[in-house]
Amino acid sequence: MKQFYHSIYSWVDERLGLGEMIALAKHKTVPWHAQSFWYYWGGLSLLFFLVQAFTGVLLLVYYRPGPEAYESVRQITYDTNFGWLIRSLHSWGANLMVAAVGIHMFSVFFMKAYRNPREFGWWSGLGLMGLAMVFGFSGYLLPMDELAFFATKVGLDIPSQFPVLGPKIAALVRGGLEVNEYTVQRFFALHVVVLPALFLPLLGFHLFLVQKHGNAVPPSEELKPAAERRSIPFFPNFMMKDLAVWLIAINLLALVAALFPWELGPQADPLKPAPLGIHPEWYFMSQFQVLKVLGDWIPGTAGEFVGMGLFTVALIAWLLVPLYDTATAGGRRARNATYFGLLFLLAIIVTTIWGYLAL
Amino acid sequence: MNYPFWDFPHLGSGWVIGLIAIIHVMISHFAIGGGFYLVMAEMKARRENRQDWLRVLQGHSKFFLILTGVFGAGTGVGIWFAIGLAHPEATSTLIHNFVFAWAIEWIVFMVELTTAAVYYYTWNRIPDRLHIQVGWVYAIFSFFTLFIINGILTFMLTPGQPWLDAAGTGTEPHRFVQALFNPLFWPSLVLRSLACVSLAGVWALVTCARIDAGKSPETKTALLRWSGLWVMPSFALLPFAFAWYLWNVPEVHRALMYLGVSTVGSGVFSQLTRTLLIIPLSSASIVAIVYLFAWRSPVDLKLRHAVSVILLALIATGATEYGREMLRKPYVIGQYMFSNGVRVQAVSALNTNGYLGGSLWTRAVSSNAAPAELALAKGEAMFRGQCASCHTRDAYRSMKRLIGERNREGIASIIKMLHDYEKDSPYRKYMPPLVGRPDEIEALVDYLASLNQKPAESPAPAAPR
Repeated sequence: MKQFYHSIYSWVDERLGLGEMIALAKHKTVPWHAQSFWYYWGGLSLLFFLVQAFTGVLLLVYYRPGPEAYESVRQITYDTNFGWLIRSLHSWGANLMVAAVGIHMFSVFFMKAYRNPREFGWWSGLGLMGLAMVFGFSGYLLPMDELAFFATKVGLDIPSQFPVLGPKIAALVRGGLEVNEYTVQRFFALHVVVLPALFLPLLGFHLFLVQKHGNAVPPSEELKPAAERRSIPFFPNFMMKDLAVWLIAINLLALVAALFPWELGPQADPLKPAPLGIHPEWYFMSQFQVLKVLGDWIPGTAGEFVGMGLFTVALIAWLLVPLYDTATAGGRRARNATYFGLLFLLAIIVTTIWGYLAL
Repeated sequence: MNYPFWDFPHLGSGWVIGLIAIIHVMISHFAIGGGFYLVMAEMKARRENRQDWLRVLQGHSKFFLILTGVFGAGTGVGIWFAIGLAHPEATSTLIHNFVFAWAIEWIVFMVELTTAAVYYYTWNRIPDRLHIQVGWVYAIFSFFTLFIINGILTFMLTPGQPWLDAAGTGTEPHRFVQALFNPLFWPSLVLRSLACVSLAGVWALVTCARIDAGKSPETKTALLRWSGLWVMPSFALLPFAFAWYLWNVPEVHRALMYLGVSTVGSGVFSQLTRTLLIIPLSSASIVAIVYLFAWRSPVDLKLRHAVSVILLALIATGATEYGREMLRKPYVIGQYMFSNGVRVQAVSALNTNGYLGGSLWTRAVSSNAAPAELALAKGEAMFRGQCASCHTRDAYRSMKRLIGERNREGIASIIKMLHDYEKDSPYRKYMPPLVGRPDEIEALVDYLASLNQKPAESPAPAAPR
């Protein structure tokens, strides 16, 4: 039996070079220190993306975009065997994916893993984060229940306030002057074709860079002499730990999906006013609250301008951090970057909580 | 209501039992499996002259004594307090039938607790052979604590026809043996015994994880692998034992498992399906983590890994126990007493004579109360007596959420379905019949309508011009 497997392995190895890949994997090491826990979050982000892709394809089999969107989701949730489970996994998975990507981003930031030679890793990662949020926004509309409809309507009303280009951009995204069945079809195409087509190559690039450069070590670990630094082989040691963490994440996802299944609200009625307290999902609450507050303080379009301007400046600063806090920049820039990160994180947390309290 | 009702807000009194009981099962099954683990590990260590093992096992027995003797015993007594408060009617029936069983249980518990303490405190103080004998006495008596309680627990789902034939005649205790050894007794005993073996290995991970791999890698490796042998084979056998168990569950209860397959609609009893889905995943995860770490990479196993396995085991245990409870709906004692304490045999009498008339415990209402207030108080008493054993007003299995947007007419039509309890009623699978006279039923409808403050009737359509 062993010889049989060995001969199959040799046949495949000759043609695909498996031996080289295994040798590479065996040589790869992962730094092992007090902050190594944060190395799991990139893998967890990937896991949740894979869950989304898998459950998304299954939903695709039954979902009908356009005028029958609501009915098809109703059938998935309340008629199809385990349709509710696939939908709940997908909806909860989306939230967990955004959370994992966010934690991954902040852990990379505070470990300063954006420094040379990992700048492209940082930029591609931010691109992936942005795409993940657009995935979330586009997917949210697809059930076309009241919550989905009005959250999207309110979300798209914001850019439409901008003079000249605003209404045109909003109309392009909506497929018309109002959120309707054409918007659903448009968002569906975006969610299922366009975004994956952008996401997958960028993800591939991001993973290639991780393989090329390896895991970064935090500054505290860099200060230690090489002899004191520990590392473990990626294969099988780190991979097994990674698998165990993935198992725990899958259990957590299954638990929330089974105990708190995603239900469907009443069908969207465009003639009704938006329900009281309508709000986007938690990962947009920070921006939602900032725009709301600035709109109260600075009435009219000016408030929106200030808000969007603030977001743009913050995003650009966040993007350019690797060029500011370089490996050789020195202590002051490194400290400033850390404070900026802490301020950014605190602002997001505070405005998110404030947003919920203000509902 | 023959007893005062314990109105536990938001969570419901059932979950007070549930939370205490799930922790108790986690610890008590370790108390049983762990007893066998300790004595068999000690025998192996003495046979092979592994002094390193003996030092670890001594520490493990201390952990064992504190966890089982304090938290296990405490939660066990906690269950008694909780069930007496939450469901005195069912507890009364169980006590009347199984007082002999509980007397036996009291004795075996006394021996169990005593020998656990003696086992720990006499380590290296008495001859090795005697110490092992103490360990075996502990293990066997602790197994008997499971043996007895397993009979009572399984009785609640399948009392067995001999006992049901005697039910209500006053001669039920004469069927003590048939009731204890009911149709589910043996499948459940095998299932729980396997769980005990698994949990012995799972909890042992906590002790073994704390062995310093730097100082004693061989000890850590050997003990973790040995503990893994307690976890993995028993988990592999669990699905077969589970299948045997389900085979013996009456078809009418088994059918509840499928209610959540195609839908999770409000009012459909989908929680059993959803809960059961968690069990194979969490169990398989435990086996995977134990294999990957305790077996393949033991020196890397840290306390946090062991704790994560404990948490997964807690999820699996909680899901299994919750599933077992839900499987029994609409009864608390199968075919005899509904979840709200109403006995099957008493239904027609309660419909004729009224539910509240026979209730010894209802909240007093002022004698000069307005008719509306009186009706609401009556309705609330009906709710507390017949609904609140499973439904809270506004949180767990919320009545408000289940009523939804219905007005009084809508609520009245559902209540009528529950009262009429026709054979083809979809609610019959998991809901008891609603009993009472028409005025009591109307009062309940008024009360439920007041929860959502909907108008009494649909407004008449405007006359055409």
